[in-house]
Amino acid sequence: MAGKEVVILGVGMTKFGRITGRNPQEMAREAGLMALKDAGVDYKDIEIGFCAHCNQPLGAGTDSFAELGMTGIPVTNVELACASQSRGVMLAADVIAAGVYDLAMVIGLEKMPRGMVPILGDPADMPYAFAMGIMPMPGAYAMMAQRHMHTYGTKREHFAKAAEKAHRNGSLNPNATYRDVYTLEEVLNARMIADPITLYMCSANADGATATVICSKEKAKKYTTKPVLLVGWAGGTPVYERGGGGLVEGPTEMLGEKVYHMSGLGPDDVDVMQVHDAFSPGELFTVEELGFCPKGEGGPFIWEGNTEINGKIPVNTDGGLVSCGHPIGATGGRMIGELSWQLRGMAGERQVKDAKVALLHNQGLGGTNVMMFKM
Amino acid sequence: MATGEGKKKLPVKEGLFKVPTDGEKGHLIGSKCKKCGEHFYPKRAVCPNCYSQEMEEVALGTRGKIYTYTIARTSYPGTPLTAPFITGQVELPEKVQALSLITDIDFEAVKIGTDVELYFWKVREDEEGNEVMAFAFRPVSA
Repeated sequence: MAGKEVVILGVGMTKFGRITGRNPQEMAREAGLMALKDAGVDYKDIEIGFCAHCNQPLGAGTDSFAELGMTGIPVTNVELACASQSRGVMLAADVIAAGVYDLAMVIGLEKMPRGMVPILGDPADMPYAFAMGIMPMPGAYAMMAQRHMHTYGTKREHFAKAAEKAHRNGSLNPNATYRDVYTLEEVLNARMIADPITLYMCSANADGATATVICSKEKAKKYTTKPVLLVGWAGGTPVYERGGGGLVEGPTEMLGEKVYHMSGLGPDDVDVMQVHDAFSPGELFTVEELGFCPKGEGGPFIWEGNTEINGKIPVNTDGGLVSCGHPIGATGGRMIGELSWQLRGMAGERQVKDAKVALLHNQGLGGTNVMMFKM
Repeated sequence: MATGEGKKKLPVKEGLFKVPTDGEKGHLIGSKCKKCGEHFYPKRAVCPNCYSQEMEEVALGTRGKIYTYTIARTSYPGTPLTAPFITGQVELPEKVQALSLITDIDFEAVKIGTDVELYFWKVREDEEGNEVMAFAFRPVSA
């Protein structure tokens, strides 16, 4: 890996909650102060900031950081839909690896409006799919799920199992929005949103904020003797594919390869993982795309319990998007937080035994990010 | 309101499809790269395959196969469709896919691979009495 080594020095998050109407800057402050405390860092030492959000007004980044202090640092807003916060952390990692800065902070925040996510811009420019209502968000995942069932014989029960596990893990997470547990039957028989995705396989909008303090490994020595290293990261946008349907949000497989190459670690080395489960079929597709099981076998892989907390490769130990809820700009920070706690042995009831290497996959309407952490 | 006088068929969104007129069936509008021959839908100005900017507008084939689909159970406020309805990706002969409403087939009968053909339907009338049209696919009539 070229450049300086990068460390995740501190993490913080507010409880996620369903449209609580909490003031965004209060949430940002809460998460920010938590991450600074976790890192043992004074705000005045932060050299650069990124603020990840999708629905906040102009100036949200500056206003959020101003809650913590006014030191004149550059603060830049990052929007990559659901993958905003992880991209913010990657941008911070880029500038630290390049030796331009040593200490950075990323705040992810979202206060969700009621109802449908508004798409900004002139209605006349609105894509046909949105104007006609033919691509509801579960739509893309649902269509990919149908295709997966057709091509590989994947069953609805496989998708439902991922959701059942998500809710069960979420019940162990005090920060999750939804902490009810459901049986497999309850997941399958819940209200159908877009076939085969039922209500309990969907993540729902939530309010919340997360924060991450990132540091060069050199400077991190001042704060900790046991840093969480960020050993690989890669982000991307969809790649043109002849005859492709445009359903894919990013080149997950290619990014996985890049991160494995950059970190010198592979799927066999990974002890715990976070993947983007905006809808439960996402977990299936991603474990395949990142090389944890052969293409097409994601269904049985999950069905057999391999992604349970005590399984071969625990996925979404905190309940994932489905249980935690989805404050769009902040979700990446939740993933980083959970993986950081796992590696540091701080995950309580959700703790994966001897977790030393963690992989993150965060994806949205705008791109995909993959990150590898090692303790 | 005068019958037929000045009443036109207009697309609900410009540039995506050509509505049927007297003697013409109507079609989806795609692009073909003059340099490498690849097709795209919707239209594009730059070829993502070879980066040429020499793209020509083409009428895409009106018959295709369902590549994938789902049954949408949620209606979106402010949109013209009421759930439940079938929405899916239709693969056209030029190997491009179009996202479309799919109709005239039972939810239990719709399958990946079903042969479908393009048609147009009226979404609403505008203030001048013109018909605002959208497209959809339905099973090929034998």
